[in-house]
Amino acid sequence: MNASGIKTGLGAYTALFLVFLYGPLVVLAILSFQTGPEGGPQFPIIEWSTYWYKHLFGLTPPSRIAPLPIEQALVRSLGLAVMTMIVSTVLGVTAAQAFRRKFRGSGVVFYLIVLGMMVPGVLVGLGMALVANTLGIDRHWWSTAFVLHVVYTFPFAFLVMLAIFNRFDPSMEEASWSLGVTPARTFRKVTFPLIFPGVLSAMLFAFTLSYDEFSRTLFASGRDLTLPLAIYGTFSVEVHPNVFAFGVLTTLFSFALLGTYAALMMLSVRRAKRIAIQEEA
Amino acid sequence: MSTVLQLKSITKAYGDMRALNGIDLALPGDAYISLLGPSGSGKTTLLRVIAGFEHPDAGAILFDGKRIDTVAPHQRGIGFVFQNFALFPHLSVAQNIAFGLENRDVDPVTDRRIVDARVRDIISLVGLSGLEGRAVTQISGGQRQRVALARTLVTEPRMVLLDEPLGALDANLRARMRAELRAIRERCGVTFLHVTGSEAEALGMGDTVLVLESGRIAQSADSDTVYNRPASPAVARFLNCYNLFAGRIEGGAFVGGVGRFALGASAPTRAASPAYAIRYDRVSVRPRDTAIAEDEIRIEANFVASEYSGAAVNSFFALDDGKVFEVESHLSHAAPETYAEQGRYALVWKREDALVYA
Repeated sequence: MNASGIKTGLGAYTALFLVFLYGPLVVLAILSFQTGPEGGPQFPIIEWSTYWYKHLFGLTPPSRIAPLPIEQALVRSLGLAVMTMIVSTVLGVTAAQAFRRKFRGSGVVFYLIVLGMMVPGVLVGLGMALVANTLGIDRHWWSTAFVLHVVYTFPFAFLVMLAIFNRFDPSMEEASWSLGVTPARTFRKVTFPLIFPGVLSAMLFAFTLSYDEFSRTLFASGRDLTLPLAIYGTFSVEVHPNVFAFGVLTTLFSFALLGTYAALMMLSVRRAKRIAIQEEA
Repeated sequence: MSTVLQLKSITKAYGDMRALNGIDLALPGDAYISLLGPSGSGKTTLLRVIAGFEHPDAGAILFDGKRIDTVAPHQRGIGFVFQNFALFPHLSVAQNIAFGLENRDVDPVTDRRIVDARVRDIISLVGLSGLEGRAVTQISGGQRQRVALARTLVTEPRMVLLDEPLGALDANLRARMRAELRAIRERCGVTFLHVTGSEAEALGMGDTVLVLESGRIAQSADSDTVYNRPASPAVARFLNCYNLFAGRIEGGAFVGGVGRFALGASAPTRAASPAYAIRYDRVSVRPRDTAIAEDEIRIEANFVASEYSGAAVNSFFALDDGKVFEVESHLSHAAPETYAEQGRYALVWKREDALVYA
């Protein structure tokens, strides 16, 4: 095959990839503008409307379709994700810091940690439920499920930080020590600021993985449902486009967060450049 | 001069590799000491052991008369300048320099005005004025070198270790920084221990030159002595200006692969194995039929090539045993000769100019 043929092939492949990646999202977004309450989650669009968005916030007249029972679940999921994010990131950073030097048994410990992201979630969830029952521990999203979320997300945070430390030049820390600065203060003043972008990525990983975790939470969270469980629960009765509207809103929220982050980064880069140019002149 | 740093039989091994093999050393205060060694001789390890980044397997380190081998690096009061400078990329030039003053464990300077004044003084000392607010990623290699030095000097250590500090600079800048480093050190009055792999740098900069060879100090002397009277064949080889022959001493002559060399009056230097060394610039190249004086030694060799380096020409000859023999002719002494390719010439030197090890 010639070069242009390969290019066309790869282009088509990429296009297909993008279609499969964003197609479902686009379809959901379109269907969320279906008319309500009689319109269902399928094509054709009977009439364009924002009914389901209003329905989500209880702004529609009462109808046979109950509002999404997600308010509590959303708060719970956000709380759980934040808790998981903090604990997993702290564990990930400290564990990766420990792994910068080889220690006895480091290979075994490494695989033990990474195992947490590889074992099937349903089994771990079920196992946790059985252990909790045997020991007479109540299952809650903030106890048993939280532990499983940490076990699951900690390896991701750990691996991200391991990669960051891999590129980190240890002579910067040594330079700080040789200036009379304690190792603890060196970590705070030199190491941490430099690994911070990595810490942010670790936090992002832990948060998103925990936020939409399903299989482990299913058995381990007890009575009170998290958001993925609550949404799944509504499917068992009947699917209405209000779920799609909710999906669109959360996606927009995520994009807004990312956009803010990107804008802040861009501003700081531009400021650095401007200072450089002023001094050049 | 008082001794500021003393090392007693320091050893350090990595697995089977002995990086430091019993180092004994005493360094004076207020001096520029260069530590010369080929790569793999353990020179960086030695610096890292002194700084406390690595622990010696055995031996003692005394700094100002106190044992420091169990003291943490940040409590030793010894500055370190890295080859890659190791500047803090998230801080500006001034912040990098102020870092040690503000954050050190003992006696941190909290008064903003004092920090600013000290930083300003050291910045003008190393010649960085006007760059205070720059990011360290926006300055040149030579400027980074100065920031690294200023950052260390501002904390007023009694001693500064420099690990190939000029290695990352281009040749032009390296020559200029040599003189500047010496001048800066004299103004500060601290001891510099400068590690380098370049014999020219070591000889040119050090008040004292230490030569490290396979984990041991092979010689410790002033530049002139190291250059003219290397303590061992290994030091001579490393100085890169001696032709060396292996062989044995037999009845007042040195017997090597290319013949018998009559010995001069001075007694041979003690060494692990016999060797005969003649400096590149002590040899003259003559036509084969020229007679030699009584105190001269003569061998024959085939001309291979020559290399022009501005002030001198280095000519390479192949000896009959296949080894290469180098002759350096300074152009200030005579116009460069041209030799016939593969031509056979007599290489002649004075008996007394050779160094003999036995």
